[in-house]
Formats: sequence, structure tokens, C-alpha cells
Amino acid sequence: MATVRRGTSGASHNAIHAQARRNKLMMFLFTLPMLVLFLWIVIFPSLQSIQLSFTNYDGISAKYDYVGLRNYQEIIGSGRFWNSTKNTLILGIGSAFIINVISLAVALLLDHIKHFAGFFRTIVYLPSLVSAFIVSTIWKYMLNSNFGAVNEILTKMGLDSLAHDWLGDSKHIIWVLLFLICFTLGGNTTLIYLSNLQSVPQELVEAAEVDGANGLQVFRHVTWPMLAGSVTVNFTLALIGGWVIFDQVMVLTGGGPGFVSETMAFFIYRLGFGEYRAGFGSAAAVILFIVVMITTLITNKYMRSREIQQ
Amino acid sequence: MSATTVSSKAIRASKKKDKKVKEKFTLGEGVCMLVTAVLFCIVAFPVFYAFLQSFRTYAEITIDPMGMPTVWHWENYVRLFQDTDFLGATFNTLFITVISLAILIIILPMAAYGVERIGGKASGFLYLLFLSGLMIPFQVRMIPLVRMFNAIGIYGDLWAVILVHLGGAAGFGILLYCSFLKGVPVSLEEAASLDGAGRLRIFWQIVFPMLMPVTSAFVITNALSFWNDFFIPLVMLDASSAGTINVAINRMVGLLTSQWELIYAGAIISLIPSLIIFAAFQRYFIKGMAVGAVKG
Repeated sequence: MATVRRGTSGASHNAIHAQARRNKLMMFLFTLPMLVLFLWIVIFPSLQSIQLSFTNYDGISAKYDYVGLRNYQEIIGSGRFWNSTKNTLILGIGSAFIINVISLAVALLLDHIKHFAGFFRTIVYLPSLVSAFIVSTIWKYMLNSNFGAVNEILTKMGLDSLAHDWLGDSKHIIWVLLFLICFTLGGNTTLIYLSNLQSVPQELVEAAEVDGANGLQVFRHVTWPMLAGSVTVNFTLALIGGWVIFDQVMVLTGGGPGFVSETMAFFIYRLGFGEYRAGFGSAAAVILFIVVMITTLITNKYMRSREIQQ
Repeated sequence: MSATTVSSKAIRASKKKDKKVKEKFTLGEGVCMLVTAVLFCIVAFPVFYAFLQSFRTYAEITIDPMGMPTVWHWENYVRLFQDTDFLGATFNTLFITVISLAILIIILPMAAYGVERIGGKASGFLYLLFLSGLMIPFQVRMIPLVRMFNAIGIYGDLWAVILVHLGGAAGFGILLYCSFLKGVPVSLEEAASLDGAGRLRIFWQIVFPMLMPVTSAFVITNALSFWNDFFIPLVMLDASSAGTINVAINRMVGLLTSQWELIYAGAIISLIPSLIIFAAFQRYFIKGMAVGAVKG
């Protein structure tokens, strides 16, 4: 009896196991098309970048030779590379920081608007429908030193001394770029902050006000800690976007004057497709990947720990 | 602090609350509205400017950069399509955006469902694998990609751009869908499977309709980013094709050095589809991307 019972239960156990295995296989097949595409288009080329970074591949011919660490040695000693790294840091961290501040400020404004709230949310979002490429192209013409609108306005306002060749001034070009990149209301970022602000319990704010806290104190001690989650998301996303700033540089300066305003993304593009030094460009790409990965993981870890503490 | 001040403050606070309940229009709110509107006008200025200039002639633009159109030169828009292959570029951009989205909507939710329901260590591993894609920008892998596309003969083809979009959208898509799927109860699917429905049918008939809020958010964000993309088509399309709208405008900047009005016209036309997508899905935009996280 006992053995028979054990036998049947074992059999049904096996049947359950077989069904679970079938289920697992089925779920794997569901994932397969996306997985194959992802490995083919994202993972495999990334690994190949590492391989190519040890070669003298020119980007065109099928053949290349391994040159060991020569590309990396050259990069470490390349002033142009360090300049592009510096620019990427200024534009990446600078824009992530400034855009988050602007977005939060705009979200606070929107949070106070109770009438026609939908209309105001819409106009704040509208500018982010315009691509970085298009808005940069328009700015390129507005900043033209001879026929541009910006110099024209400055002249009319009697500020002739300020009017100059904005995009040809190698001393200030990086700050001009930073300004243009930050010239936005940060549509998505603002909406994320706004939704977070509206989830702050009104009772908490009122309790603080009852305790005699002024507006600034309420923000500092009640609202700001509650925003920790969206700060993490927004800052991490802005940073990931900031490391690969390209469109604005390509359109507005082409990396110039000289190589002054190159970013890492632009540097890799130029080496790979303009200067036929794809192997060298791959080494820069590998370094860019390491920078993106480390900074993303660190910011995320730091900000998450902030969320828990508060 | 005496008890009286506290109570008076409490009364004031409760009064403030009453005001909020009645939603009376306050001066503070008016100031907030004004500041928001002014900020919008400043940030949107380049687009207004491009719109007005697209109706002027090159001579007018250069003589008086801040002038208004005296005669509205609608023919600038006609010339844009006659003198350049802007129609081809528009078609290409539309094709890339629509096909990329159509394929993604079929394979991505299924993949996320598989990742979520496969269970055990495989679930965690696949999830992290896809997520790692978020940290691998296109710039890191574009040189090998161009080499590979050249080898299989699709470099310069619209499909090269589509494939890159598909791979690039995976990381964010899996993140979005999986976080939503975690809240979908398995019991519903189990009930359906007792009826003898296959997994594929369960997914498309029961699970997929429940994912609609995520799907709309996913479609909107990706439609805009595919439409607005400049870098991927710049790298993947050569002179053999008309390019996308942005690539075509970029070529015009180099070629038509004395026809700024056409470039402004092109910039304005490129905005129209974005505006249409936004207007059509506005409800989902605000809800799905912002308030949805709180109220939904």
C-alpha cells in the first residue's frame, strides 16, 4: 500500500515537473525573438568593440592586425582625448544638474497651478517634442555672426560689445553649448517630478505649517526628502543621456573650432567614420562604456542609499 | 512659542486648506501661471522664429534677421519638396518609425512576459541582461555594427536603422513592461489555462490587453525618439538613400548655404508628426507618464 501510494505521488510529481519544464521552455520561446535581436545588435557588437580596440582596423578594409595595447597607450597620451573627456564631463554633469534644477522648479510652479492645470502641463511639455537636432539647427542660424538673430537683438539693445561669433569663439564655446543644451523646460523630467510632488501627502505639509515651518523649511524637510525617488530616476537618466551628447556638437560646431568642443561621442564618431581609425575609435568607445557603467552604478547606488536614509 | 500662536497658525492653516478645497483663484497661483507662460515663450522662441522665417526669402532674412514676413512665401514649402528629395526623406522617417514600433509591440511585451513568468534564476538573469543594454550607448557599438551590416549587405538600408532601434529599445522596454507585469495576478492566467487555452492565446487575449497603459506610454516615447533621432540614421544611411528628415536637413545645411528659408521650412515640417502624436495621445501622455504612477 505504502509503496503504491508513494509510486502514484511520485508519478504526479513527475507530471508536475514535466509541466513546469514545458512551461519554462514556452516562456523561454516567448523571450527568444527579442533576446536574439538584443544579443545580436547590442551585446555582440559591444564585445566586438573590445576586440577591435586591440587592432589597427581602419573601418573600411576587411583585414586588420592586432597591435596589443598600442591604441590605449596612444589614447592616454592624447590631449585631444582628454579634452573630449573634459567636455563630456562639463556637458554631461552640468546639463544633468541644471536640467534637473530647472525641471524641479517648473514642477513646483505647476504644482501650485490649480486652474487650467492641463493647459499649463501641456505647454511645459511641448518644447520637448522638438528634437535636439532641429532645435540646434535653428540655433546655428540664430547664432550666425553676420545674419543671426541673437547678434541683431544684442545690437538693437545697444549691447554691441556682446555680439560676436558665438560658435567660433574657442574660449567660450563649451559654455555656449552647455547653455543651449540646458535651454529647455525638461518636459519628461518635469512631469516625473510633478507626479511625485502631487503624491506628497497634504497632511504632512499642513502639519509642518502648523509647527511653524515657512515655505522653504517645508520644502527642505518635507517635500525634498519625499522626492528622493524621482531625483534618482531623473538624475541617472540625465547622466546616461549626458555622456553621449552628440547632436548639438555635430550641428553647432562640428567639434570645432579645431577640436576644442569635441565630446567623447563625437570623438569616437570622427575617428571611426571620418579619420579611418576605427581601431583607435573602438578603444575610446570601450573607455566611454567603462565611464558610463561606473558613473551610472555609483550615482544609482549613492542615490538609492539617500532614499533609504531619508 | 505660546499655545495661542500655535492655535492661530492652526486656524490659518485650516483656512488655507478650505481655500484649496474651494480652489479659489489666488494671486500666488496667478504669478505661477505667468512665470510658466513666460518660460514657455522663451524656450519655444527658436521654433516660433523658425516658423516665421520659413515664410521669408533669403534676402529678407539676411537683411533684417528679426523682421516679420511681409508677404507670406508659401512657395518655400513647395520648393522644399521640388528642389530636394524631402518627400523621400519623410517617407523613410515614417517607414523606420512605424515598422520599428510594429515589430517592438509584437516581440517586446512577449519577451517581458517570458522574463517575468519563466521563474527562478533565469528570470533574474534575463532581466539584468536586458537592463545592461541601458548602459551600453550606441556609440560604444556603432563601429562593429557598421562593419557587420556592411558584411551582410544591409548597410545604408532602412533596415539597418530599424534593427539598431529594435535592439536599443529592449532595455527600457523590458524595464517598463516587467515592472507593470509584477502587479498582474497569475490567477487569471491559471483560470484561463484550465479552460485549455494555450499560453500564446492567454497572452494575447488576456495579458496583452491589460498591458495597454504601458504599451501606450512605450509607443509614445519610442515614436518620438525614433522620429527625432539623428545620430543612428546619420551613421547607418549613406548618400545612396534620401536619408531621414533630420539627415536630409543636415545635408541641406552643407549644400544649400544660401537657402536658409528651406531649412527653416524643413524644421517646421519635421515637427508636425510629433505634434500629431502628442495631440492624439495627450491623455495617455500626461496620465501614463506622470500621474499614472500615482493615481493609476
